[in-house]
Amino acid sequence: MEPSELERFEAIVLPHLDAAYTLARYLTRNDEDAQDVVQDAYLRALKYFGGFRGEAGAAARAWVLTIVRNTAHTWRRRHRSDALATEFDEEQHSEAIAGNHPGAALDRDLARASLRQALERLGPEFREVIVLRELEGLSYKEISDVVGVPVGTVMSRLSRARQRLQEALSAGREGR
Amino acid sequence: MTHREFELQLDAYVDGELAPEEARELEAHLKGCGDCAQVHDQRVALSTAIRAQVPTFRAPDALRSRVRAAVSKEAGVEAGPRLRGRIAPPLVGRWLALAASLAVVAVGSWRLARSRAGGEALAAQVLASHVRSLMPGHLTDVVSSDQHTVKPWFNGKLDFSPPVYDFVGRGFPLLGGRLDYMGSRPVAALVYGRRQHLINVFLWPPASGGSVGAATTTQQGYHLLHWATPAYAYWVVSDLGLPELRDFAGLLRAADSSAASAK
Repeated sequence: MEPSELERFEAIVLPHLDAAYTLARYLTRNDEDAQDVVQDAYLRALKYFGGFRGEAGAAARAWVLTIVRNTAHTWRRRHRSDALATEFDEEQHSEAIAGNHPGAALDRDLARASLRQALERLGPEFREVIVLRELEGLSYKEISDVVGVPVGTVMSRLSRARQRLQEALSAGREGR
Repeated sequence: MTHREFELQLDAYVDGELAPEEARELEAHLKGCGDCAQVHDQRVALSTAIRAQVPTFRAPDALRSRVRAAVSKEAGVEAGPRLRGRIAPPLVGRWLALAASLAVVAVGSWRLARSRAGGEALAAQVLASHVRSLMPGHLTDVVSSDQHTVKPWFNGKLDFSPPVYDFVGRGFPLLGGRLDYMGSRPVAALVYGRRQHLINVFLWPPASGGSVGAATTTQQGYHLLHWATPAYAYWVVSDLGLPELRDFAGLLRAADSSAASAK
């Protein structure tokens, strides 16, 4: 690789390391695996950097997140950890909650733990859209590119994911 | 449109992803539909709760070094013979370290890039004015969510007529405007809201024309975005999260460029 190319890579791709790690952290749900995924993803990014035609900033961030996301999914298939973990059980939860004090103020401390837990219990296809939208601030179009599904699917997944988070939150409050 | 269709659009609305006319239709529906209004409020509360309570992470330093080392090694291996032919190995290492530090500088380069234009002093003024505007009674001289009220209000108070846009359909309602003084000249300050956050937009015709790309800095927990078009120098400041503030700046720049091309 030409030195100028490496310089460009470091200037354009490295600044998104925090965003990459945050996504990987929520997709793998632990620090060690997230670090492996990010390192792997950055090596892939380096390999394919010649084909990246976008600009620094938002385009580069979406590009990096796409690679992190795909790397994490490969990792998941290899480790099958999501298959073992408890996924959110829609049937079990949605019955109990429908219509329960929807406007209730969040109890901060309880909500803090349970909101993150609820997010981590979501299936990966729901978890990733929430992280990309709410934590990484991507637009629907960018999420659609990262995840590789149409914008309409992004919209419906986000909607379902939020519905589930809201239900999990009220179920958590209900149980206390 | 049916109630069900509006319901399906609520998330896109909260995310500022609806086209303006769709957003207006939905807003009209929200006024009359208690169910939708309730879901809307829940969604806004959930987004706020997520952003406040679900952390983003900083990459651990160990990972940062690992990635740098792996990337350098990988790149060095590929560039191998040519690079080694030209530069002695210790220099390569030093060069890579320099490149790495350049990347760090690129992230925090705002300071350097802006200082040439006295930007640093200006940023301090922008921040001070933003903080002052948050004190009771200092936010706006003209309170209105109507751009056609805010824009004429500046007539006779400034030697330029600032462009005023409302982005209520995208979740950034215009709250009002006021006069401010910055960089030794009176400037327009426009105030926008995003949930409980306030955004100050300062703008004035730049002394020297020419576009300046967007630069970002963070001071005392506030994010400052700066850019310039040939017509206006812009400073945007808020405690809002950076991704959302960038979304907002994007809206502003898009509105500006479509206004400029319409001229």
